Amino acid sequence: MGMHIKSLALVLVAMASGTLVYAEIDYTREVLPILTARCLPCHQPQALLSHGAKLVDMISGTKPAMPKSGAPLTEAQVKTISSWVAEGARTGDQWWSQRPLAKVTPPTAGHPLDSFIAAKLSEMKLSSSPQADRRTLIRRLTYDLHGLPPTLEQTESFLNDKSANAYEQLVDRLLVSPRYGERWARHWLDVVHYGDSHGYDKDKPRPNAWPYRDYVIAALNSDMPYVRFVEEQLAGDVLRPNDPQAIIATGFLAAGPWDLVGHQELREGTTDKNITRLLDRDDMVAATMSTFVSQTVHCARCHNHKFDPIKQSDYYAAQAVFAGVDRADRPLDDDPEIFAQRRELLSQRRTLQMVLQPLADKLENAATPELDRLDARIKDAKLLAAHIAEPKTAEESVRKQALKDRADADTAIRQKLLNEYIGLENMAQMTGLMEQAKKLDTAIAMLPKPKQVYAVSNYFARTGTFIPALIPRPVHVLLRGDVNSPGELASAGAIGVRFSIKDSNDEGARRLALARWISSKDNALTWRSIVNRVWHYHFGQGIVDSPSDFGRMGAMPSHPELLDWLAVWFRDDAKGSLKQLHKLIVTSKAYRQASANRTDGATLDSSNKYLWRMNRTRLDAESLRDSMLAVAGKLDLAMGGPAVRMFAFKDDHSPVYDYAGFDPNSPGANRRSIYRFLVRSAPDPFMDRLDCPDASLLTPKRSTTITAIQALAVLNNPFVLRMSEALADGGGTVKQVFRLTLGRDPGVEELAELEAFTKKHGLANLSRVLLNSNEFLFVD
Amino acid sequence: MNRRQFLWNSGGGLGGLALAELLAAEQGPLHHPAKAKRVVQLFMSGAASQCDLYDYKPLLIAKSGEVWDPGEKVELFQSKPGVVMKSPWSWKQHGQSGKWISSLAPHVASSVDDIAFVHSMIAKSNIHGPATYMQNTGFVLPGFPSMGSWISYALGSANNNLPTLVVLPDVRGYPPNGPANWSAGFLPAAHQATMIRAGTANPIYDLFPPKNAKFITAQSDQDAFAEIAAMNRRHMVGREDDSRLEARIASYEIAARLQLSAPEVLDLAGETEITKKLYGLDNPITEDMGRRCLTARRLLEKGVRFVQVWSGADNGHPRRNWDSHEDLAKDHLEMGTSMDQPVAALIKDLKSRGMLDDTIVYWTTEFGRMPCSQGSLGRDHNPFGFTSWLAGGGIKGGVSYGATDEWSYKAVEKPVYCYDIQATVLHLLGIDHTRLTFRNNGIDRRLTDVHGHVMHELLS
Repeated sequence: MGMHIKSLALVLVAMASGTLVYAEIDYTREVLPILTARCLPCHQPQALLSHGAKLVDMISGTKPAMPKSGAPLTEAQVKTISSWVAEGARTGDQWWSQRPLAKVTPPTAGHPLDSFIAAKLSEMKLSSSPQADRRTLIRRLTYDLHGLPPTLEQTESFLNDKSANAYEQLVDRLLVSPRYGERWARHWLDVVHYGDSHGYDKDKPRPNAWPYRDYVIAALNSDMPYVRFVEEQLAGDVLRPNDPQAIIATGFLAAGPWDLVGHQELREGTTDKNITRLLDRDDMVAATMSTFVSQTVHCARCHNHKFDPIKQSDYYAAQAVFAGVDRADRPLDDDPEIFAQRRELLSQRRTLQMVLQPLADKLENAATPELDRLDARIKDAKLLAAHIAEPKTAEESVRKQALKDRADADTAIRQKLLNEYIGLENMAQMTGLMEQAKKLDTAIAMLPKPKQVYAVSNYFARTGTFIPALIPRPVHVLLRGDVNSPGELASAGAIGVRFSIKDSNDEGARRLALARWISSKDNALTWRSIVNRVWHYHFGQGIVDSPSDFGRMGAMPSHPELLDWLAVWFRDDAKGSLKQLHKLIVTSKAYRQASANRTDGATLDSSNKYLWRMNRTRLDAESLRDSMLAVAGKLDLAMGGPAVRMFAFKDDHSPVYDYAGFDPNSPGANRRSIYRFLVRSAPDPFMDRLDCPDASLLTPKRSTTITAIQALAVLNNPFVLRMSEALADGGGTVKQVFRLTLGRDPGVEELAELEAFTKKHGLANLSRVLLNSNEFLFVD
Repeated sequence: MNRRQFLWNSGGGLGGLALAELLAAEQGPLHHPAKAKRVVQLFMSGAASQCDLYDYKPLLIAKSGEVWDPGEKVELFQSKPGVVMKSPWSWKQHGQSGKWISSLAPHVASSVDDIAFVHSMIAKSNIHGPATYMQNTGFVLPGFPSMGSWISYALGSANNNLPTLVVLPDVRGYPPNGPANWSAGFLPAAHQATMIRAGTANPIYDLFPPKNAKFITAQSDQDAFAEIAAMNRRHMVGREDDSRLEARIASYEIAARLQLSAPEVLDLAGETEITKKLYGLDNPITEDMGRRCLTARRLLEKGVRFVQVWSGADNGHPRRNWDSHEDLAKDHLEMGTSMDQPVAALIKDLKSRGMLDDTIVYWTTEFGRMPCSQGSLGRDHNPFGFTSWLAGGGIKGGVSYGATDEWSYKAVEKPVYCYDIQATVLHLLGIDHTRLTFRNNGIDRRLTDVHGHVMHELLS
């Protein structure tokens, strides 16, 4: 009961003053960090909380009993806990991210964001920095919204724009440009670990992944409301089955790596097959829960979550949501009529397969000693034939043919035995069904050739041992996460909820239920998560600096009231418009501040958590590459379509992706980096060295490192040198090349120095220097 | 740890900021005194057979050709179990320890008294991709940092002229999973491995401008370094607080040093003919592996902390790694012969230079092979029992740890996962594997996940 009273009180206080005021010891902010660091590693939270006064005894005194390892708690920490116990040891309501969104009003008039930020700064005895100059602003804003530098003309025109709303107009212009969607889609693809190959051994290309990438770009450019963006990515095919774009959206669930060998080559029912499927669904659960609600549900695969209120059964409930789908290509038609026909035929074919599959399974798993002997002989012959590969001698050719003949003869005998084993009646039924299936398959094949998208699917043609679920596969809570220790059956759900679904065989209903749980107005996690993500990319740090983890192991919000205000505003006032959110943020004073250092700020808040200045950022890999193309006049702005393979490709058992063998004159070589073909097993070495993340990894936040190997890449990579030459080929003076790359005029001495260098070595070498400069790589 | 963690997170490693010197001054063990300073990991791609190299089982010879009945259902990767198949190679005891080694590895056999064999290895997957990840990163999933990256993260660089972490892939190509095997995962890119394709024309990507960039001359290159530095110094005015800008300036200085030191360390011309012969550089079969093992020694000598040498490429046909499903006698002979002499040479060479005492040599593979036949001549995957071994760097030689059953099928005595080996290697480097953590997606990740025990019986 205490909990409820406290949370009510909080909301009341919040509404009265505009900020959350904590009159007493606050469990979440003051007590929990101590417990988390020193007690929770060994103790269950509930057990600790039930101790009450005894807890204080255990931790106080000259030789306290607890914590067992490390130094005793400090006097201040003991005092915090004892005051808290004296006040009734209330645990507040919930962890900050689990609380309902607080209805806060900004403390003062003016730009709401600045109002919250100024309040915090003044608490810290700090103030914001003056506005950056216009040249800095347009460069900052253009990189932020487009991932590209402004052109000279754009800079000049902004510098000379005397109108009062020049900056706002600039923001509007940038948000309208399709470059915006390309830039921000790249952020989203980081978060969802999008790639163009499967990963693992035999890392095959995934040629139909790109429509999802284009979907994200288009959704951002058209400012799709966030609710729709969420729901389509999880269940677009269920919500809008006629709409190819909605089906493409579910490429989100298929974006991560996929173990081809495990899925296509392992037999049904084996331990490793079950592990493969467990881990495949795990990837979907982790991606969904990290991306949309910033929760680490995936930590509860082997046990209840150690820090957050997520039960192991919640984790398997989330797995059950995806128990009816696999990652596979899905056919799409632009013509709605043909698409409708195709869906009807596929639906019939799927229904047929549900009858056919059990019979096929019986056949496939048929086992008698005689059949086993034949199977072994056939396999042996095939293995040895494959091992010869391309025969090199006449003898090898003869041997290979003999092996093939032997396998064929054995296969014929096997079929005869199999017919006897299955029985005439079953065989007849099966033959009948297979004829029907063949008819349907032919009818489907007669339709015009469809487009394909790599997404999730509950029906697709078999490849090897990879078959669709047809009905959702049973998901059990696995003891210690072990596939060989199944516990109770899990039903579809999420954190703390189980969905009520009429037909438990309807896998689509499961995904739709999850989508609706996430997109609900009342799911505070969802709204906090997205506004924080957007904030993170604008400022280089989130209000919560762990954008995909709002749990106890994540960071605490620096401005909790602002976060809640922003979430509610985004949901209710902006109606989920990301463009409005961007505009609100970039028009704040906080965003427009200079990035220069200040002694008071550096002393009181060295990490700039409270935003007394703007953060300087280093260009990410894509922005750097795109900028080089742009200033060299080479940037190809063609949008969309199949990913550009910036390597020489040779298909093989494990395909070869050779970046050194890339032909820079091939079509698409100069397109924006978002259109690059992302190979999971072999990332582009140039991009890799610039902190471009591993496409197998959910990346809510990139790291920025600086290494000598990276310096060498920027110095010597053939791409950079081609751009240096292109810049020089554009002709012009030292001053012009300087302005093109750095967007300003050189100083007098600087110019003299660079002219001397150019006289000696030419413009291409000058360009190489400029493209390597910190000024080019960093944004103030 | 905190300060160091901060430094490395903000971009240490090779080019470890302007703070590299500062770090060098405090280089030492992280958690406790170290016995080893560096590691060379030899990875047999495709699954090297324990029962054809190191795991001697008389029963396999006695029952060869008979129906195999280990007393339980056997689940194999590709096949149903065939008959018991003895090794095509003969077995002999070697060294003072009397270790049984097959005639496929006569050179390694001559070093058995320096080696601790771990016969009870278990893998968590029987698929190459996940299992290869597991031996590299401790996880069967992609996206986790390799052991070398963790060590770089823990200890930083031990030199200012060469990378901390180097990978030498087989000249025939990458192993299953490709370069993702030596990914830094979620650790900062400063802990990425540098791949060196030893013996090729351009062994390190982008070390020098490509030849077709005609506008660059030796002089323009040198002047470009100076001009970049001058520009960056000017840019720093008013931005002095930003250590990243300073770090970038330093990174070019270190890059220039790397341009000098890398070709020097990769040039084997200064090695004696005896040494080259020791590594098998005079024989086409051993030449590639020999060159890379010798290169590994030279890198370790110059302060590289972790070198990974691969034996074998992917699992394709014709066979180019240890994945001998079809014809073990032929394919393991090729792989074994190419591996044996160079690997033994590395141990002997390190030893003669006094480096074996503080260098860990770690030989491993993703899983083992079955004691029964696949088809008539091959062997299928065996994740239930296989052999890895360790030598040097505080490891007791002439030791055999754990055991498989009488068939060399399942680890039955002291089962070991990669975590235990990793914990032991980290321990020898002065690192407590439970305290080497990095927060990612809500979890304080470790190389050893939530597992791992230091194998004290192996320590000298």
